[in-house]
Amino acid sequence: MNGLSVRFKKWLRPVLCAAGGLAATAGFVLPAHAQGAHYKVFLDLSYSGNVWQAEAANGIAALAHTPPYDKEVTFKEVISGTDVQHQISDLQSMIAAGANAILFYPVSGTGLNRVIEQGCKRHVLMFAYDSSVTAPCAYNVASLSQGYAPNSAQWIINQLGGKGTVVINHGVAGTALTEVMSRQLLHVFGEYPGIHILQFYGSWNDAISQEAMAKILAADPNVDAVWSKDGNWGVLQALMQHRPNRLAVMSGQSNNGYRLAMGDPTLQKKGLIGLSAGSGPADGPYAFKVMMEVLTGQLKPTGHNISYPMPWVPYDKIKVCTGDSFVNGCNVFPASKVPASFIDTSLDGTYLPELNLASVQTGAPVPGMTIQKLQPLRYEGSLPGVNCVNCKAPAGWLDPTFIKPTVAPK
Amino acid sequence: MAPRDTSTLAEPMARGRAPRVNPELLPAAVVLACAVLLIVASTLLNAGSSFVPQLDAVLVTSIFLVVASFGQGLTILLGGIDLSIGVVVGLAAIMVSTLTNGSNAAILWVVPATLGFAAFIGLVNGLGVALARVPPFIMTLASGISFYGVGLAFTTGLAQRPVAPGLVALMNARVAGVPIPVVILLGFVIVATIFQNGTSDGRKLYALGSSPGAARVLGLPIAALTILVYTLSGLCAGISGILLAGYSSAATIDIGDPLLLPTIAAVVIGGARVVGGRGIYLGTFAGALFLSALETIITVLNLSQGVRNIIEGAIIVFALLLQSERWRVARG
Amino acid sequence: MSAALRRLGRLRPTGGAVVAVVIFLALYAIYAASEASAASVFGLTNLFNNTVVLAIASAGLTLVVLAGEFDLSPIGVIAIANVVMATTSVGTLGWFGALILVLLIGAAVGLLNGWLVASLRLQSLAVTIGTMIACEGVALLLLPAPGGAVNQAIVDALTGDVLEVVPVALAVIALVLLVWLVLARTRFGIAIYAVGTDAMAARLSGLSAERTKLLAFVLAGVAYAFAGFMLSCQTGSGDPRASDTLLLYMYASVAIGGTSLMGGRGGVFGTLFGAGILSVMQKMLFALGAASFYTSIFSGLIMLVAIFIGNASELLARVRRQRVA
Repeated sequence: MNGLSVRFKKWLRPVLCAAGGLAATAGFVLPAHAQGAHYKVFLDLSYSGNVWQAEAANGIAALAHTPPYDKEVTFKEVISGTDVQHQISDLQSMIAAGANAILFYPVSGTGLNRVIEQGCKRHVLMFAYDSSVTAPCAYNVASLSQGYAPNSAQWIINQLGGKGTVVINHGVAGTALTEVMSRQLLHVFGEYPGIHILQFYGSWNDAISQEAMAKILAADPNVDAVWSKDGNWGVLQALMQHRPNRLAVMSGQSNNGYRLAMGDPTLQKKGLIGLSAGSGPADGPYAFKVMMEVLTGQLKPTGHNISYPMPWVPYDKIKVCTGDSFVNGCNVFPASKVPASFIDTSLDGTYLPELNLASVQTGAPVPGMTIQKLQPLRYEGSLPGVNCVNCKAPAGWLDPTFIKPTVAPK
Repeated sequence: MAPRDTSTLAEPMARGRAPRVNPELLPAAVVLACAVLLIVASTLLNAGSSFVPQLDAVLVTSIFLVVASFGQGLTILLGGIDLSIGVVVGLAAIMVSTLTNGSNAAILWVVPATLGFAAFIGLVNGLGVALARVPPFIMTLASGISFYGVGLAFTTGLAQRPVAPGLVALMNARVAGVPIPVVILLGFVIVATIFQNGTSDGRKLYALGSSPGAARVLGLPIAALTILVYTLSGLCAGISGILLAGYSSAATIDIGDPLLLPTIAAVVIGGARVVGGRGIYLGTFAGALFLSALETIITVLNLSQGVRNIIEGAIIVFALLLQSERWRVARG
Repeated sequence: MSAALRRLGRLRPTGGAVVAVVIFLALYAIYAASEASAASVFGLTNLFNNTVVLAIASAGLTLVVLAGEFDLSPIGVIAIANVVMATTSVGTLGWFGALILVLLIGAAVGLLNGWLVASLRLQSLAVTIGTMIACEGVALLLLPAPGGAVNQAIVDALTGDVLEVVPVALAVIALVLLVWLVLARTRFGIAIYAVGTDAMAARLSGLSAERTKLLAFVLAGVAYAFAGFMLSCQTGSGDPRASDTLLLYMYASVAIGGTSLMGGRGGVFGTLFGAGILSVMQKMLFALGAASFYTSIFSGLIMLVAIFIGNASELLARVRRQRVA
């Protein structure tokens, strides 16, 4: 494995701060925003061991080693696991070690608030990516409020002509993301009496989703459409295995194999009508870039909930790339280039021109690349309990925003 | 504590009503019947479904648990336990996908290498338990946690590389209308049953599990048998991981975590005692099928996850209650 | 030897517990040497806040383990306690009412476990898988997504420090130890060791294995609920998901603390240090700049080291006793 040695060196490299830096942390750390200053930046992962998280973490590591960030930051990655106390402990350690900024994937949207506030009080920039936290002083970089769930639900309804059996592959029960999306889905599908709903919890996991989908197909062979977020690659496997000649309308994550299948005319003829959307791993590196710009004083966001544009690629927009990055509107790699489980939305030609295929696979920076100017920020809407407390969701947050119904409920 | 039999199969039990029939077959049969009932119920609940595809789905998705539970059953037979199974399944899945990297030719050396590594972890467990006298619960918990860290170090938990298409095809193809995994499953059950309940090694394990003291007096190779059992358990977890990688074609390091507790539940529901010396593999197999069928019916139910959990937990307790009554009668 | 003296003898920490104390102090020394804030009140408060939930839950688990049984339900009870605190401690019940409620819930789940295991003779290792899954379901029904709020008064009071000297979490752990020391002197405290060592002999000497195990499960349930209460104070909110990692680390705490998972040997004292070791190890490895996967590798190795040294020291002690005799 080529990236392995790189990654190993990265791990084994000791944190470059010796006694001097540590001594300062015992007392009060002043914000250091002067040009030419050196920053201590941490990445704290919670979930790990899946392609999404690994590609996000690799993209972040690659950016941290891309000039000029490579000279400006001491970067360290920590995996806390899925126990909230472990993540609290690691975040506290980072704050105590004199972090200037911490980018983290929160294991809980509310459980970390106290340690986040501890960090804010010590002038540490606290950035959450993909999943949001409700602590007002933290920054969230996410795409939830752009309505993947309601829009894709309406898209499915349109493809089905307003009637049929739809399977919902909910994510992890008990998370805010799943709860919000489930409410939106049930609301949109619920408008159509012709839609019959089956549902299971696939835990955003391909293996679990595949087993569950196989069981659903055995119990109800007449499934017309499946909605997923992560885990849809497993759903597609189950469909191909159990009903190879009658596929379904699908909406889900952006695995390269899934996008290739969506664009394959023979599979389309067999009924695969696919949509590839939802939050991509590029959200992580994008959040890192925004955080760095804020840290170095280049950027002053006007809000704390920053939007990363949600990818949205229906089957008729699939275009195979010839190179190692997404340019000229191409959005999928040939099968020979990446494994099927590779998630294409870890790359983003518009917002993250600094990354290429190798960088999100190994965490190595692109040779000769420098950090490009950031696109103007956009902001997320309020979702109470997800990215704010004591706030109100915008009217119509349950409804599709940009996909218009082509069939009337009947 | 109930008096333990020195050997369940070697000598037919005097107190049994049907002396030539293994008394442990009855609970296994009851659990198996319950599993079939669950599948029938699931068929009835879903208009438009039929029994055979449901059975297929249950069998195919149960294979990972059935295989891993065999190893767990053996360790429990000795009064031990293997808590590293989930980790070994994940490591084997990651290893087989990383090393084959989409090449069928590589299967020839990668599968033995992966099984060897899985068996090696089992061997480490066995050495710790048999020679260093570390309690199995702690030995396997510690080795599981540590080897998970090793796996994390080598992969960051990422299978960037595809599983060999040959393995994927194996788990997805059919012979004469029967899914190949079902054929593998039946073959495995036959081999496992013969080993555990038909060979002299198997009988020695019962003797050792029932009474280590007596086993010592009889001069059984206690350390060797213990090491053998933990190595086999690692090996089975390895097989399960390779099958799981082939089935899902995308491996992650935590892919085996959901299997650990069900392996214990399957063994106990199948009639084994955690203190050792009791239980047959057919019972474990029935327990695994029962859990898989339960999973199926719960998946298909249109309920919130909270309600699903409550039903699942209650049914597991209920299945164990059925077993308990049997012992009370037997003891009384 | 008089009965009272024998009872005192039982309270003396086992070899394993002493090993745990030594390892804890060693790891803390390394941590303090490489991280200046480790010895500050801020650092200590953080450390004990990180430890307290694991420590209390593992203390409860120790009772069940001493009695010769297993319990996999604690994470389910902790999840329920957490969501109940987050939904009732502000307003309706107040923090004290909510605390009483969660302790009662913990006792009820413990009673259920105890009834299934002690009275119906189901195997604890399997039956508590069932109750764990069911408890997780109840937590999800009570609070479908993270949220709610925990009474701010206890959040501030129980995560801070007393007079800027002693972290409150440390005081709580000390309180748990005190309860244990009292408990261990009672008839139940003696019975739990006797039942765990040899249920038959215990029965012959007039101790009811059934009642002892039942009580062990109930008290353990109360401890898990209290751990969930402390977790709620740490997070200030509710989250219905239970962490499998926490369950593994609970067993690790018990084992590292010198309690035999076969029952009958060990005690809560060692367990508390076992939990402390796991928490301080995470801090120490971070301070040393080690990559995160080392935390896993070290957790496993430290468990084995603790067991080895514990076994060895007990062997030595036995040899010495024999020589004296």
